[in-house]
Formats: sequence, structure tokens, C-alpha cells
Amino acid sequence: MRNKKWLLGLFLTVILSLVLAACSEDDATTEGTDTGSKDSASEEETPQVLVFGRGGDSVSLDPAIVTDGESYKVTENIFETLLSFGDEDTTINPGLAKEWTVSEDGLTYTFELQEGVKFHDGTDFNAEAVVFNFERWTNGEAGEFPYYESMFTVGGEDVIASVEASGDYTVVFTLTRAQAPFLKNIAMSPFAIASPTAVEAAGETFGDNPVGTGPFKFVEWKRNDSITLAKNEEYWQEGLPKLDQLIIKVYPDNSARLNALVKGEIDLADGINPSDAESITSNADLQLIERPSMNVGYLGLTSTRKPFDNVLVRQAVNYAIDKKAIVDAFYQGYADVAVNPMPSSISGYNEEITGYEYDPEKAKALLAEAGYNGDEIELWAMPVARPYMPDGQKIAEAIQGYLEAVGIPSKITTYEWATYLEKATNGEADAFLLGWTGDNGDADNFLYTLLGSANIGSNNYSYYKNEEVDTLLTQAQTETDEEKRNGLYKQAQAIIFEEAPWAPIAHSTPLLAGKANVKGYLPHPTGSESLQNVYFE
Amino acid sequence: MSELTQKVSGQPIVVDQAVGPWKEAWRSFKKSKSALAGTFIVVFFVLLAIVGPLFVPQAINEQNFSMRLQAPSSQFWFGTDDFGRDIFSRIVHGARLSLTVGFFAVIFSAVIGSFLGIISGYYGKWIDTIISRFFDIMLAFPSILLAIAVVSILGPSLQNALIAIAIINVPNFGRLIRSKVLSVKQEEYVMAARAIGMSDARILWRHILPNSMIPVIVQGTLSIATAIIEAAALGFLGLGAEAPQPEWGKMLADSRQYLMTAPWTLIFPGLAIMLTVLGFNLMGDGLRDALDPKMKS
Repeated sequence: MRNKKWLLGLFLTVILSLVLAACSEDDATTEGTDTGSKDSASEEETPQVLVFGRGGDSVSLDPAIVTDGESYKVTENIFETLLSFGDEDTTINPGLAKEWTVSEDGLTYTFELQEGVKFHDGTDFNAEAVVFNFERWTNGEAGEFPYYESMFTVGGEDVIASVEASGDYTVVFTLTRAQAPFLKNIAMSPFAIASPTAVEAAGETFGDNPVGTGPFKFVEWKRNDSITLAKNEEYWQEGLPKLDQLIIKVYPDNSARLNALVKGEIDLADGINPSDAESITSNADLQLIERPSMNVGYLGLTSTRKPFDNVLVRQAVNYAIDKKAIVDAFYQGYADVAVNPMPSSISGYNEEITGYEYDPEKAKALLAEAGYNGDEIELWAMPVARPYMPDGQKIAEAIQGYLEAVGIPSKITTYEWATYLEKATNGEADAFLLGWTGDNGDADNFLYTLLGSANIGSNNYSYYKNEEVDTLLTQAQTETDEEKRNGLYKQAQAIIFEEAPWAPIAHSTPLLAGKANVKGYLPHPTGSESLQNVYFE
Repeated sequence: MSELTQKVSGQPIVVDQAVGPWKEAWRSFKKSKSALAGTFIVVFFVLLAIVGPLFVPQAINEQNFSMRLQAPSSQFWFGTDDFGRDIFSRIVHGARLSLTVGFFAVIFSAVIGSFLGIISGYYGKWIDTIISRFFDIMLAFPSILLAIAVVSILGPSLQNALIAIAIINVPNFGRLIRSKVLSVKQEEYVMAARAIGMSDARILWRHILPNSMIPVIVQGTLSIATAIIEAAALGFLGLGAEAPQPEWGKMLADSRQYLMTAPWTLIFPGLAIMLTVLGFNLMGDGLRDALDPKMKS
């Protein structure tokens, strides 16, 4: 009996080792054919296909109706804007408009358009197309084009009085009031020019069938899995794009995405855990890519909900959280502790504010003063990795610990990403983690977009409303003197600091990783960029 | 010895005579080394769950970022996790969570399953058809998928994970006891009871239930092992315990990004799950060998 068991054991071991051996051999052969195909690639010009792995799916591929970065990441490749940003900064460069002039009073802008550009459906890009797009956005219903409303209306009034075509390739914008960041706004991803024919034909479903002028054409969208784009053979910029196909795939888990990169399933991976940075730099097959920082990750405190309708409670939360510890632990040096709602690189940043120091005792005193009754709050944690917050669940758990320590019990709640944003927009969260990556490098795009009361229901998720701040921010929009304008922003930041609608946490340097042979990829600080210059070496 | 065996095969087990067969079962149980080892592990973890939390060195949810991801040392026996929390303390507390879920989920499913199984086995006919088909439907789903569905409806929490696990295990017990009841109700003593006009309820309670319990006890012990794994799996998927509860499966999920850099954050919770499950399985196997008369020949 005993002998038989022993034999059985031996038998199993042999089988197991055979199976394992077979597996490893398998690997070797696939690798072999892999290199084989790459060799032939250089000879026969096999299609260059790049797979980009990211954390979440797009909400829609109509850039005008969305506000999230994952949507723009794709639309930047399908559509183009009149003006474009520099490769790695937010300077203004020609896009679909090759040159532009501004009138003395800052109320008339004239754009000369590129000629000979065609939409993917074969129709011509011209002044009429530009006018059509702006009219579509101006006449949209409330909330239909959230970005257009937030950038080009002030106090319910349109900033753009009219957009007119004067000739086939000249467009004239007339403004009702001067807007300092007007050109920067025009260059933002949401204001990309779509094919009028396709918009009229598709109606509501344009987001599923996007047609633009960009380097890549839309092919297919498998929800929550992948988006496939193909080279636009008739692209107006000579020799671009260099890739034949671009596949953008969703891997919600950061480690799984990195694994996919290591295994060669994908060529570029967004959202790398700071803790994995070291393993990438030490791997000769991979490269670590740092995106220039222009973002903020924060804990929003919805000021219309109990207990955060009380400013003392909001301040207490700020004192209760050791932001430095969180940044050290979960960003591992790839972030700065946030004090203001915008990063210090942006003109108008208030250096005099030093932030709330970590002081749990003070937090407890403030809570007592506020008469907070110890009710449990919901603490929302984002389900996906974001550039401004690589691991929302972990940071939420850390914050939960800090809040517990000063006597605020909390329950961590999470939803699927689109639902999360929608519910937060409706003001349904008590406290929520969220962040923002700047779209155009202007203070207006942080302070007014995120905390102006006109943006409640879109990007002002914390429902913060302060008339003084609103006045300062709208004044700053029309102020063309840089010095005075910065002064207004500094005042606004001081009030926001006192009122504490958020607990700002970090300004991160988002990390990406790619195969070592991927060249020409320049991540843009806005978080979305065209991959037209990318190629394999 | 032979005298005792006769008693088991021939007569109904009534409380005052039951000492014999139980004693014999214990004797055969004792002979199996693996069963004793399993029992030892189970007793160890049960004690750990009951008294352990009183003695652990640190508060389990106290975060200390200056001490994050420390390797095992004399201060932190099992090291610390990425919040600087002592993993040893959390595992000791986690034993309470895992065993509670295991025990109660199995008790609930055993009670409900036995009830349905007895009714379906004893009354037969259409009641049997309905209940049995219902069990078949439930068994047609992979159990973890069913558990995920239940938790998605109820919302993720440890308590709902317990309910989900209880629900998915009901058909196992139901089918088991139904087949047992089918054979027990043919026994002479049940016939006799019926002949003297005893009520159905009394027959079920006094004769059929006690004589059908043994497979349930065996199955129950083995089911605790699967229930613990299922709870850990749900925790791993983010559908069980909520932060900051130190549930073993959740501890694994939270630490998987540190597999290469801080393996102790995964090894110890993993070992804890493995050992408890192993313990219950060995003990369950031993019990089956000792209690199931068919295996004895």
C-alpha cells in the first residue's frame, strides 16, 4: 500500500514536470515566431500596429459632449482643433487654422484655415464646417455641451456673439466681451471640428461614429474593451501618421496592465503605479515615460450635504489628513503635496498659502465647535486608476483611517466610472476622490472650471458656491493685463483656502511605460495627445 | 467491537444508546493521523479567533506610514502592509471574520438545505419534483458566479457575502439529505412508527432527522472549508469585506501589487487561508471515514 502511494507520487511528479516543460517550450516557440515576424516587418513593411493600454473606457467619442480624459485620449487622434498646443506644453500653435489675428479691443478674432483638408467621410473642411460646429454648440440644450458652456458662457451670457465665414477659408469670431484665455480655450480637445454631414446623419449616435479630420479614422468600439483606429491615408500633414493602426485597450488594473506590457500584449501603458517605476527602469526592454505634471488630485467635500455644509467640518477634514504621508506612500515621490486647487507651474498661483498642516487635535476641536454629531459619511473612491491618483481605493482607505482618528466614521463606496462621475455631478456624494488634469494651462481652467458656481452640475462636483470668488474669477477672465489678472486669482485662492471646499491632495507626475522600441511618443501635460508621430524602431 | 457494530446496523439510534456508535467513531477517528492533524489545526484557528484578538500587539487599523512595508521582524512578526499595519494582528483578527463566515454560512445552508431535503425526500411527488428541480437549477451555475450575482443584488459587504455563500450551498445539503431520507424512510422502524399512527411531524423529528444527520455533519465540516475559500474569493474580488476589515482574501487583493517587492504581505494571508482550509478538509475526511459505515468494511 505504502509502496503504491510512493509510486503514484513519483508518477504525478513526472507528469507535472512534463506539463511544465511543455509550457515553457511553448513560450519559446511563440517568442521565436514573434521575432521572426519583426524581422520580416522591416523587409516587407508589415502594418505597424500599436496597442495602447489604459485604465478606463471612453464615455463617448464625440469630444464636444464629454469632460473626461479617457474620451479625449481617443478623440485627439480622430479630430483636430483650430489651434493646437505645443508638443509638451500649452503654447499656442497652428492647427486647422494656419494663422490668426486679434483686433485691438480683443473682441474680434480672424482665423485663416488650412486648405485642402478633408474629413474622413470625404467632405471638405472649410469655413462653413467651423461655423456649423460652433452653431451646434451654441444652440445646444443646457448641459448638452458641458465644456462649451463652461468655457464660453459667463453668467448665462454667451462669450461668442457670432461666428461667420468670410470666404471659404476665413472665419471671424466676434466676442461680447474680451476673454484672456480665448486662444487657449479654442485649442482644447472638446472644441474639435467634426464633419457637419456626419453629425447631421448620425444625430445622437455621433459619439459612436465619430468623423473628423485627424490622423486616424474610427474603425470599431467594443465597449469596456477596445477602440480600434486606422491610419487616415489622406491626412493633410505629409508623412503622418506613422502607424497603420492604433488599438486602445482597457485594463482597469494597473498591475494587470503592466503585466500585459511586460508580456508584449501592448506597446504603451498608461497609469503606471509609482511603486512599479523601479522595475521598469531596470528592465532593458521597457522605457519609463513621465508625463509633464499639470493636474490636481483632491478629496471633494460636497458643500450642499451634511456635514460638509459646515465650513468648520470641511476645515477639520483638511487638518485631519496627513497629505505628506499619503503622497510619500502612494505616489512615491512622483507628486507634490497640493495646497491650492492648481499646480504651482500655472501663472497666478498663490505662493503665500502654505496649506493646512496635519493636526488631528485641531480637527477634533473644530468638529466639536461645529457640533458634528458623528454620523457616518460616504467616502467615494474612484474605481479606476487616474493620472492624478494612481490608486484611489488605497488613498480612500488611508483617508478613512485619518477621519476615523478624529471621529468621523466613513464607509468607502465605489461605482463604475461613468456612474461615479454622473452621481458626483448630481451632488450625490458626501466626500469623494476626484481630480483634474488641466486642458489649457490657464488658471481659469482650474479655478473657474472646478469651483465657479456656474459649473455646478458639470465640473464643480463639490457644489461650491461663493459670490466673491465668482466675481473675482469672472473679472479675471476679461482682464487682459497679466499682472492684475494674477492678482485676482491669488485673492480667489485665498478665499477658497479658507472655505475649504476640497482637501487638495497631490499634483502628480503621471507615469507611463512603453516598449523600448516605441519612439516619438511625447505625452502632453493635458493628458491626451495625438499619436501621429509615434513609430516603432 | 462486533457487538457495537451490530447495534449500528440494526437499530434506530436513540439518545441513551447512541454512546456506542459515537465512541466507536471516535476510536476510528483517532487512528487517522491526518484527521488528528486537521483537528489540531482547526482547534488552533478556532482558539485564535476567539481569544487571539485579545492578545495581539497592535490596533489592527492603526495606520503608520513611516512603518509601511516593513519585512518580518521581532516587532512585526509577519511584517507590515502598505498602510504600516501589523500583518500578524490583522491575520489574527481575520481568523475571526473568516471562521464566522464559514461557520454561520454552513449552519444556515445546512438548516435550510436539510429542511427542504427532508420535505422533498419524505413527501415525494410534486413537492419533490419542485424542490429537486430548483436544486438542479442552482447547481447548474458555477457556485462562485451565483455568489457574485447574489452579492451584486444585495451590495458588497461581509454579511451579504455570508448570505450569498449560505444560499449557494443549500442545494448541496438538500440533495444529500434527500437521498438519505429516501433510504431511511424505508426502514422498519419508520414503517412501524407509521403503523402505530405516529404523526408525520413526529416521525420526521424523532426518527428520520436524527438518522439522516451524519452525512450532514461530514458535509458541513467539508463545506466550512469551501465557504472560507468562497468568502476569501469574494473579498479578493472586492465583493466581500469592506475596508478596513482585515479579511484574508481582501488582504491578498490589496497587496498583490507588492508581490515582487514585499512578498510577506501576500504569503501570510495566503498561508492562513490555506492552513484553515486544509485543517477543515482533513478533519472532514477523517469524520467521513469514521462515521460512514459503508466506508468501514
